[in-house]
Amino acid sequence: MKRKLTLTLLLTATATAAIAGPVEEQIRFRQSAYSFLAWNIGKIKKQVVDHPETYNKDYVAAAANAIAAVANSGLGELYGDGTDQGIGWKQTRLKPEFFQKKADVTAVANTFNEGANELAKVAATGDVNLIKTQFGKVTESCKACHDLIRIKE
Amino acid sequence: MKVTIPVWDLPHRLFHWLLAASVTAAYITAKIGGELIDWHGRLGIFILGLLVFRIVWGFIGSKQSRFVTFFPTFGRLSAYLQGRWQGIGHNPLGGLSVLALLLALSVQVGTGLFANDDIAFEGPLFQFVDKAFSDKLTGWHNSTVNVLLTLLGLHLAAIIFYRWVKKTNLIVPMLTGKKAIPIDLAAIAAPHPTPAAGAVRFILSLLISSSVAWGVSGGITQLYQATAAQHQAQQSAQVNAGF
Repeated sequence: MKRKLTLTLLLTATATAAIAGPVEEQIRFRQSAYSFLAWNIGKIKKQVVDHPETYNKDYVAAAANAIAAVANSGLGELYGDGTDQGIGWKQTRLKPEFFQKKADVTAVANTFNEGANELAKVAATGDVNLIKTQFGKVTESCKACHDLIRIKE
Repeated sequence: MKVTIPVWDLPHRLFHWLLAASVTAAYITAKIGGELIDWHGRLGIFILGLLVFRIVWGFIGSKQSRFVTFFPTFGRLSAYLQGRWQGIGHNPLGGLSVLALLLALSVQVGTGLFANDDIAFEGPLFQFVDKAFSDKLTGWHNSTVNVLLTLLGLHLAAIIFYRWVKKTNLIVPMLTGKKAIPIDLAAIAAPHPTPAAGAVRFILSLLISSSVAWGVSGGITQLYQATAAQHQAQQSAQVNAGF
């Protein structure tokens, strides 16, 4: 009985280790990062674009700072070799071409980082029009990257 | 001997050119993204209204606009392919193309209503489906673009073919509404309704299509405002909790 239990535990541990290998871990972390970004993007969209009458400076600034923090966290580290295949929270949608297009990827990534930093800066000023314009630029850079290296659904 | 008669009524022509312009604009705004994605959404609602208008007009518009007049039945298609078809307005092949375009555009608008771009845009009916289903519809929304581009390519190719090979200008009649046709064909052209009757039908179609567009774009959501208010109350409670 004890041996069976040990065996079961051992098998479970091995299986878990296999699922949570380094590739899967990278995919899972980056999927989490983009979910967190989506949440904060949504907050700004709601208060700056859709319902400016509900605008709250601190709320939007906090969201913009969170976006900038993720942008500056070194996401590139999560795109190691072989991470175009694998399941994080779900199957990754990274195009295999990612690894051949590193120069283009770096360019869009830099645009996103600069845009996010600028968004945090204008969010601190509380100028809704400036925030709205800069927010549009950031979401444009999101799309540029999706178009470049993300498999369409 | 030719005679010039009215072929496309004014609402039909307005529909056509507004559709051409708004579909072009929707395509461009989607390609650019960023701030323009919200305009893409608004254009989608406008196109929805146009499509509903065209469908209603297909039943109560003047003769050449009606589906019964140009519906590409098997008999009409085979007569046309054998060169035996006679008529004005859409020929059976043209009718097929019109229906294909209306169908593809309806799929495009229908999926767009539930779509999301994983950035900062959600279609007006997104909240009524789960994210995974919205993602699937977004995928269809993306792939239907290729179907539409193909159909539009055929549409334009046909216009060029008629202009240079068959020496028939299709664009001018779609602008002026009038077409020169052989006099023996003029007999089968039903007269347009009187302006008064036409105006009543036009207003009716406009009412139906704008109601649908309004309902889909925000009217339905307003009915759920109570839920939204509740949600907001919950949210501020959480903010008050201090994290």
